[in-house]
Amino acid sequence: MKFQYIFPILFLISILAACNLTNDVEIDLPDYDRQPVLECYLEPGQPYQLLLTRSFGFFAPFDTSDGQFLENVLEQGATVVIKHDGKSIPLNEGLFFNPFSFKVFNYGTTEIVPEDFDNEFELEITLADGGTITSKTTIPVRVPIDSVVLEFESDAATDTLARALTYFTDPDPSVENRFRRQFHWNSLVDSSAQQDFLSTDQFADNGRIVFGTGFDYPVGDTIWNTVFNMNRDYADFYESVIISIQSNGNPFGQPASIDSNLDGTADALGIFTGLSYSREMTIIEK
Amino acid sequence: MRPTHLFILLWSLFATASFAQDKFTLSGVLTDGESGETLIGATVYVPQIGEGTTTNEYGFYSISLPANQPFQVEFSYIGFQNTTREINLSADQKMDIGLGEGLELQEVVVKANSYQEQLRSTEMSVEQISTKEVKTLPSVLGETDILKVIQLKPGIPSGGEGTTGLYVRGGGQDQNLIVLDEAVVYNPNHLFGFFSTFNTDAVKDLKLYKGGFPPQYGGRLSSVIDVKLKEGNNKRFSGAGGLGIISSRLTLEGPIEKDKSSFIVSGRRTYFDLITRQVNKANEDVEDNQPIPDYYFYDLNTKINFKLGEKDHLYLSGYFGRDQFGFDNENFNFGFNWGNVTSTARWNHQFNPKLFSNTTVTFSDYRYKISNEIVGFSFNLDSKIRDVNLKTDFYQNLNSKNTLRYGASVTYHEFTVGRLKAGSDDGEISFSGGNEYDGIEYGLYISDDWEASPRLKVNGGLRLSGFSNDGTFYYGLEPRVAANYKVTNSFSLKGSYARMNQYVHLVSNSGLSLPTDVWYPSTKLVEPQTSDQVAVGGSSLFKLFGTELFLTNEYFYKLLDKQIDFIDGAELFANDELEQEFVFGDGYAYGGEISLEKRTGDLTGWIGYTYSKIRRGNFFGPKGDVMEGRYFAPRYDRRHDISIVGMYKINERFRAGATWVYGSGDLSWLPSGRFTFQDVGGADFQAVVPSYGDRNTFRLPAFHRLDLNLIIKLGLKKKRKNPNRRWESDLTVSVINAYDRRNAFFIFLDVEFAERMDNDGNLIDLPTGVTAKQVSLFPILPALTYNFKF
Repeated sequence: MKFQYIFPILFLISILAACNLTNDVEIDLPDYDRQPVLECYLEPGQPYQLLLTRSFGFFAPFDTSDGQFLENVLEQGATVVIKHDGKSIPLNEGLFFNPFSFKVFNYGTTEIVPEDFDNEFELEITLADGGTITSKTTIPVRVPIDSVVLEFESDAATDTLARALTYFTDPDPSVENRFRRQFHWNSLVDSSAQQDFLSTDQFADNGRIVFGTGFDYPVGDTIWNTVFNMNRDYADFYESVIISIQSNGNPFGQPASIDSNLDGTADALGIFTGLSYSREMTIIEK
Repeated sequence: MRPTHLFILLWSLFATASFAQDKFTLSGVLTDGESGETLIGATVYVPQIGEGTTTNEYGFYSISLPANQPFQVEFSYIGFQNTTREINLSADQKMDIGLGEGLELQEVVVKANSYQEQLRSTEMSVEQISTKEVKTLPSVLGETDILKVIQLKPGIPSGGEGTTGLYVRGGGQDQNLIVLDEAVVYNPNHLFGFFSTFNTDAVKDLKLYKGGFPPQYGGRLSSVIDVKLKEGNNKRFSGAGGLGIISSRLTLEGPIEKDKSSFIVSGRRTYFDLITRQVNKANEDVEDNQPIPDYYFYDLNTKINFKLGEKDHLYLSGYFGRDQFGFDNENFNFGFNWGNVTSTARWNHQFNPKLFSNTTVTFSDYRYKISNEIVGFSFNLDSKIRDVNLKTDFYQNLNSKNTLRYGASVTYHEFTVGRLKAGSDDGEISFSGGNEYDGIEYGLYISDDWEASPRLKVNGGLRLSGFSNDGTFYYGLEPRVAANYKVTNSFSLKGSYARMNQYVHLVSNSGLSLPTDVWYPSTKLVEPQTSDQVAVGGSSLFKLFGTELFLTNEYFYKLLDKQIDFIDGAELFANDELEQEFVFGDGYAYGGEISLEKRTGDLTGWIGYTYSKIRRGNFFGPKGDVMEGRYFAPRYDRRHDISIVGMYKINERFRAGATWVYGSGDLSWLPSGRFTFQDVGGADFQAVVPSYGDRNTFRLPAFHRLDLNLIIKLGLKKKRKNPNRRWESDLTVSVINAYDRRNAFFIFLDVEFAERMDNDGNLIDLPTGVTAKQVSLFPILPALTYNFKF
């Protein structure tokens, strides 16, 4: 959430909660043409996989009957090819579950994304209706986490709640880099991230950057700190998604159109990017 | 010869040729006889020759009359008993007049000559409001607010329910020049725009120009809001105050030396925080209790003035206001405060009966600061704009046909944009950022109010403005012309043209006012904004069923250039490369306004209607465009706007006020589509991400609201027994939204989820439907305020 909106929203929430001034209304939205939506994250060591879906008009009905939800959402019959280092890698249609990320994709292959931070990857998709989606990307270098420091408010034995300070070093102070920080407690997949936000090294004076938590995590628990080094395209896309989610229902917010890095005739939304991150698991100890 | 030189030379020649010695000049200052306050816009009228003038913003008047002839000169001002003096000038004469205040605003018979002066004046597109009117009209939570009342006048729609944001004739909220005793107020809002910074008890007068801007004003495109503080009673010590449900206020004023110098001190403070602290204290033992943050605001206005002799007057005034938002606990210490400081030193000097000068030095400062301390780490972010201004203005009654006004100003601006200092206490981690700029803004102007014929008056002028910043220099010529043709004694036609340049810009990505909005100078990339506005209209005084009514009808067309907007998703908060987020375009607005006003009798008020259409477009910038440059309507593009305002004196004890407003709904940018977003490992699946298309394509439902006010005077029996009793008090009962209309503050699309079983038998949340939800701000909202004065 954009920082400057926090205070007016707090104030508004307190007023509105007191008055219950929300009610349903019927409105007509402008006509909407459905668009293909692509998510493809090329992670070294993981297979080439992507999710190709289609958007809906906002008031279109949700069909959540068993098995129908995915069929209605997934874009079928597309031809997908990723080119890298002079080689074409076709992605087949199907349902692919990635056990590491716990994510599902509908186009994929068993071929593994190489750890190549220099050469471009190119995407070419031809949809069943003839529309095309193209894009290019690279994989950014991984930014290592220097250390995860646990601190307690005091040395007292009764003080068993720690905070975690995650330190890393700006990979290139001469340019602005964008990072995504995730912090998980006890599970990477069964609970929402405790923290998940974008950051920048724009203001770091000496190249050292830290992300912190509150004194909230008990001795014996497990935490995961993740730092993504993001391509500019990916950071812009992710930020526009977050702004879109947060602007709906925020009178102080300014919505944004989705900032995609996709070309072609299909007018698609989405992102084709390399993915690079460092993740540290830590057990809280005193 | 350069055009500017030619212009000045012609003016001088004309002025010299017109000068004649067979007339003498009557001049002086009009004041409130009870308090010594100077009266702005009071009328001086000579019925025998049908000539008159009005006092300027310092109460000064000067009128040339034929020598050695007896004249009845009438001095009048709304709310005051008229005074007539017989004059026979054999030399220039100075005459200061103290007008006697009427018993009640509604009781005073306003003579036709105040309307006549309005019919004769070249000024158009001007709205004026008195604090007496403000106090008679309903107010939210009992907080009288002069900026909200001025929004009831045609052509000045607000930024939405509950806000003080002004969008005058299609202009943005940063395009209003707001001056308090001649010092610029950069953020006129408290509490995110719910209240204005102007304490009604301390304000003497507010005048708003929507167009036809006089050349002495510059620096903003769309309006000038000139607020004058009271000077303080120089006759006797007095006070006023009030106790409301969210704030209290107190004003004290009196002579330092009777008739020569006086002071006024006025303050108010809200007490939300006292209430929330008690609530927090009561709940401190409750498990998982989340304490309510502290919030309050306060204002302090002070002014002293000294009459240094017959020809000199010195005024010193200041304003200090702050909003404070804070949250403390043992691990976390958060503070957010913002506010304005202004101060003015003003020297009025009368060189002779025909030449009057006003010289001011002003200081303005608006800043916000966010600070946070967490064990071992601190964070500080602040932005500010600070001005020091020197200006001098001359008023010269050249002859009975020409009144010159000329002057110059120079302002030094200092900008701090997003200064960040954060890091660990041990220095291992350090973040810093922000930019500092400065600039100098110049203004030089001359204008002549010229009575070309008994029916035609023309005010022509020229302003030369400039701005320099880091080697970049911009300048612009701003011609201003206004004319009034009096068709009959009760009907006049008016027209005006004004060009304006704006050199400082507000960086605000929200339709609502936020304290974190920052001001930004013109730079090499950011060129000055410009506007050209043409307005035509007419005024008519007529009687309907024996009631005198004043009708004003105006039409305007405004062209805007070098407008600033922001790319989608712009990061305006703590960004060292802010300019990269800007896009530059143009726009236009046009419309018509009609107002029917009744100022006399027990029932007074007005009906106003505005039609307008606003477009912005052609926006391109370093990082992209807005809607491929296509034109779009800003969210405040309100097609129809109606306000009906009534004030009624029921009897000695009761006085009522009512306002009803109607407006086409504002525009809103709602998502037209949605898609699912799986995201990367470790992040939640988002079943619904809104997809936004073109900007502002959905119009909110129409807005309408009735507000009522009843003032019950207390202690009338005691007053009758003792007419010299000074203590007066009343209870003011106000009801906002009397018929409980649920107006849309905003609309959002809400997604409903339900648990479903997946193929593996696990329960998962899946979206099942979407509903549009409207959020309103005010239900029916009563308030009670106790007011007193002595």
